[in-house]
Amino acid sequence: MVVAVETRDLAKHYTMGQALVRALDGVTLQVARGEFVGLLGTSGSGKSTLLNLIAGLDHPTSGTVKVFDRSLASLSRAELSLHRRKNVGMIFQSFNLIPTMTAAENVALAMMFAGVPRAERDRRARKLLEQVGLGGRQRHRPSELSGGEQQRVSIARALANDPEILLADEPTGNLDSRTGHEILTLLQALNAGGARTVVLVTHDASLASRFAQRALTLLDGRIVAETRS
Amino acid sequence: MRLGDTTHLALRNLREAVLRTALTALGVSIGIASLVGMVSFGVALQDQVLGNFLRSGVFDSITVTPALRPMARGRGRGRGNVGDRFREAIGPSKQAPAGARLDDDALRKLAALDKVREVYPDVRVPVEITFGDFSQFAAATGVPMSARGEGVFQQIAFGRFFPNESDDTCLISLEFAHRISEGKAEDLLGKELTLTFASTEGAAQAAPLGLPGGINVQRGEKKFRIVGIVERQAAPGPLGAMFGAVMIPLARARRMGAYDLSNPQGILRQLTDKPTYTTVTVKVRRPQDAEEVEKKIRDMGFTAFSIADLMQSQKKAFILLDLFLGLVGSIALTVASLGIVNTMVMSILERTREIGIMKAIGGSDEDVRKIFLIEAALIGLMGGVFGLVLGWAVGRAINYGANYYLQSQGAPAANLFLIPWWLIGGGIAFALLVSLVAGSFPAMRASRLDPIQALRHD
Repeated sequence: MVVAVETRDLAKHYTMGQALVRALDGVTLQVARGEFVGLLGTSGSGKSTLLNLIAGLDHPTSGTVKVFDRSLASLSRAELSLHRRKNVGMIFQSFNLIPTMTAAENVALAMMFAGVPRAERDRRARKLLEQVGLGGRQRHRPSELSGGEQQRVSIARALANDPEILLADEPTGNLDSRTGHEILTLLQALNAGGARTVVLVTHDASLASRFAQRALTLLDGRIVAETRS
Repeated sequence: MRLGDTTHLALRNLREAVLRTALTALGVSIGIASLVGMVSFGVALQDQVLGNFLRSGVFDSITVTPALRPMARGRGRGRGNVGDRFREAIGPSKQAPAGARLDDDALRKLAALDKVREVYPDVRVPVEITFGDFSQFAAATGVPMSARGEGVFQQIAFGRFFPNESDDTCLISLEFAHRISEGKAEDLLGKELTLTFASTEGAAQAAPLGLPGGINVQRGEKKFRIVGIVERQAAPGPLGAMFGAVMIPLARARRMGAYDLSNPQGILRQLTDKPTYTTVTVKVRRPQDAEEVEKKIRDMGFTAFSIADLMQSQKKAFILLDLFLGLVGSIALTVASLGIVNTMVMSILERTREIGIMKAIGGSDEDVRKIFLIEAALIGLMGGVFGLVLGWAVGRAINYGANYYLQSQGAPAANLFLIPWWLIGGGIAFALLVSLVAGSFPAMRASRLDPIQALRHD
């Protein structure tokens, strides 16, 4: 088994006003390559913080995060941005598309940072949007798209630089249940046959048990349960 | 990230806030316009003052005279004596051979120097000029054929330059023309002046005047046809007027064999086989070569002087004036640069979330910094280009008004604003530089934004 993500005694503390918040308080886990893992928990359980640490968007207070056996702690800011560009693709609850750009431009933006030439970028953005079922909506801006469509654009963007790992933070949180199912089905298809590793953060235990191969439940910054489906 | 893509994103940002971009760029324009206006005013002033000298063509000529006697230097006790300092400045260098003769050999040596275009002796023939009832003692100046189209001969009011160097033709100054004739100066063209001089040449009209040493001097008389009238008398040369009221071809003047009998030295000089010259003009290829050639001539043991020596201090004064005007002009640009900072800070505040997104999907600090830096640079570029146009237009308008006033007061028109090429390039480059400096702080701030905080921002 190739380990895609590994954390050891991972902790993230921060102060909010006077109080010390232990967002993560010693998390040790392993995610195998090609696995679909769910991170379950109520709001404030630390699941999003864990995802941000894996993405290299945040720095841990203590403990280590390794992605493909490489510790993120040893990386410079520039190397961390390279990690986000190459290794991981992020999908957010609120989509986080740039409102003034069309669907295709949003997807192409991720490739711009990777220095992909324009023609190649446009071709690949079109292909990815077709792949997520948005073939006819390339020139639409986020405001002209439904929530489900916006999340599909965001998935296409996450795939732009062909990362090994997809990190989805409550991707269905702003969607109705039917659309949410469609999105998760899409993620499942992307994971099919171990093509990509998916880490899904959700508060919905039923969704986790239905789509993820394994679910870890967090409470107050600790893993309290592990279930296999 | 490719530079083209970064620029593309920066342009997109600017397009989304057209009004803000336009106002900020307008601020930069006003800054650049005031800077360009001030400096172009300084440049025009300099041109008014120094330009006449430049156009007179004396910058490429060096006046060479025989070395001053060493005692002239030793005698000066008071260090403040201007004459002594002047002699010191132009005199031969200490190690130079003393008393080098300024004769035909020396002329050949001077001509052989590097970067020297031409060497000719300044021949001034003492003559009596007669025209109708008018009669005056003066000097006829020998003018080389190469002076055609140069210096004072750039503007020949009536007629033309000497057709050749052997005919008995002459040019006179407009001022002289008015002195000898009350009619229109133009009507003098083709008329003849009678020049009377001491000569060995020509038909003897009176008994030869015996001089010690056995040279024969006769009274020569020649008629010279006026072929042209020059507008100005030559600019004041280093040693008296370069060309006088009456100018004849140099070769003609030398052939006249006229003797300068106005002083004993003049007579003595001409008693030898090898005549020497009081003054020789050395023309260099380019005005900037003058200094170097001057030094070499001094090393040969002559005294050398060029108008550039006098211009140095004036030039320094103008550089100071330009600096001062530039500083005053920069005040508006400084304010404009604060406008850029303000606009960039606003732009970044509005785009905080966007910056977070960019970082989350792989944009580096450097990518973000460059986007905003280029955004600022583009504002500066637009402002710079428009500012130049604005500065030019305002300058033209003021120029028009000022000249209208000058002419109503009977003064000649003058160009009060000059925008040379270096000011165009410099203005745009400066606008770019200022905007880059102004944009660097906001851009740095944007690049250091914490992506998680930025993503939470609305």
